[in-house]
Amino acid sequence: MPFLEVNNVTKRFGGLTAVNEVAMRVEQREIIGVIGPNGAGKTTLFNCIAGAFSPTSGSIRFQGRELAGKKPYQICQAGVTRTFQVVKPFASKSVLYNTMVGAFAKTNHLHEAEQRALEILKKLDLYDKKDVISRSLTLPERKRLELARALATEPTLLLLDEVMAGLRPSEVTEMLPTIRRINEAGVTIIIVEHIMQAIMSLSDRIYVINFGKKIAEGNPQDVVADPEVIKAYLGDEYVATQH
Amino acid sequence: MNLLQKQNPLHLLLTAAILVLLFLLPVIIQSSTMILILTLIIWAAYLTSCWNFVGGFAGVLPLGHSAFVGIGAYTSTVLFQTYGLSPWGGMVAGGLLAALVGVIIGIPTLKMRGAYFALATIAVGEGLRVLVENVKQVGPFKINGPSGLLIELSESSFTNFQFVSKGPYYYIILVMLLLVLLLTYLMMNSKIGYYLAAGGEEPEAAEALGIKVSRYKLIAMAISCFLTALGGTFYAQMMLYFYPKSIFGLDLSYEIAFIALIGGRGSILGPVLGAMLLKPVSEITRIYLGDILPGMHLIIFGLVLIVVMRYQPKGLIVPARRLFNRLVGKSSEPSGKNPEATIVTTEVE
Repeated sequence: MPFLEVNNVTKRFGGLTAVNEVAMRVEQREIIGVIGPNGAGKTTLFNCIAGAFSPTSGSIRFQGRELAGKKPYQICQAGVTRTFQVVKPFASKSVLYNTMVGAFAKTNHLHEAEQRALEILKKLDLYDKKDVISRSLTLPERKRLELARALATEPTLLLLDEVMAGLRPSEVTEMLPTIRRINEAGVTIIIVEHIMQAIMSLSDRIYVINFGKKIAEGNPQDVVADPEVIKAYLGDEYVATQH
Repeated sequence: MNLLQKQNPLHLLLTAAILVLLFLLPVIIQSSTMILILTLIIWAAYLTSCWNFVGGFAGVLPLGHSAFVGIGAYTSTVLFQTYGLSPWGGMVAGGLLAALVGVIIGIPTLKMRGAYFALATIAVGEGLRVLVENVKQVGPFKINGPSGLLIELSESSFTNFQFVSKGPYYYIILVMLLLVLLLTYLMMNSKIGYYLAAGGEEPEAAEALGIKVSRYKLIAMAISCFLTALGGTFYAQMMLYFYPKSIFGLDLSYEIAFIALIGGRGSILGPVLGAMLLKPVSEITRIYLGDILPGMHLIIFGLVLIVVMRYQPKGLIVPARRLFNRLVGKSSEPSGKNPEATIVTTEVE
């Protein structure tokens, strides 16, 4: 039984098919990259898995349990937590408070939630900022906080929606080991990202989506050499220059 | 519980002094009118603190809370008149009924955001008032329509919730207020408090972190309505006469919201500060201008609100706290986690 199995998931908005019969298999402890041009349907697929949308058809099985049609909070309680592309911190609250909200998913006690949150903040180099009101954080810090909050719910599957978008190259380089460490601690990760350098070095396998359809899958090297992928990203004429 | 541990000695001393002063006030002040006004101030602080559970922490703006004050007053009174049930028992019954009504109203309305929720609560509050004004009798219970209910004088005793002097009422509402403030503190420092704040601020992010936002809002609504109704029974017993407009009206709902917004919603002592500043204004205008310009206090409140929202959108509790901390020589908050909570014992009135 695969860890996460996405079977022929379709999501339509009126006449627009944003995700079309996409299938995906994720094994435990993998890092899976999802790439595709703008508007390809990556985030919609993400939203289907995380429960923000319920798929028009198809099934999403996580550890044998059906997730399609479940509410976001139920999916989080099942062990799947997502981050948002546009970060959504609880702006008037401190970094610690934000992280504790996540930690309360696994405990009812204030003190315990605080301890867990502090541990996670240490791991993500946010400990020094714990008392800072999250409104005044810089973008890279906010992205980290988004990650910290999600981790605090102790997910077994983490869905990262462009956690590196908007970061400077040096900041991306700082983020990569963090994500790897999370994975090494036993968390399976699906990551949607535009920054190729990041996704190529992180992912065990990559799914490429265009116009809502999966056009390629495989390890990073094979995927970038795939003519379909080159066509989707660069246009038809570039395919010929490849072997 | 570290309610008292984190405070510095000066804070503790001041808190103790303020509490002692509050409990001694009826002994020091002989004028019963003054005691009545003080009681009404504390009553307003109490109601606003109850409102705060929903309006302050759940991220919505209820503008129909007088409905629950009314439910409390009517329930305990009709139970006393019909079955001779002690108003204390009626108080609990009214609270439970209000919580039930609150949840029933909350299920469809708490999903609305911003002005829509506010409008829905106005509609419910006004609807209930019109209903009560047009009902003379429900089953065995006399409602009396617009003329209201007069509570028969009985022996002055605790069981009857009736006292000849105003002193006991003062102490009862003071204890009720302190208990509600303690409850607010406990709630803010619990999972429910964190989840409410999260759901109020960023519902989508909260849901993604495993929070069933609507459930926590309903819990807050139930607590708020229950406690508000207790305040209704208190008012009925203190005044011994009330009519739909006096407790069900929009005036009271607005007054509560004004006090909260000007004092500082979502903080423990904001409602207390707001009541201290605004309630005297409404009492004075009612005494001196009640005949010529009824509702004058709401006009004044509105003007004050505009100014406060312009310069201190989080309410006057923010500058008050800063000033207080400067006075006791504390440079910064001891913990950024919950700045409001750290001064709970320091500024009660």
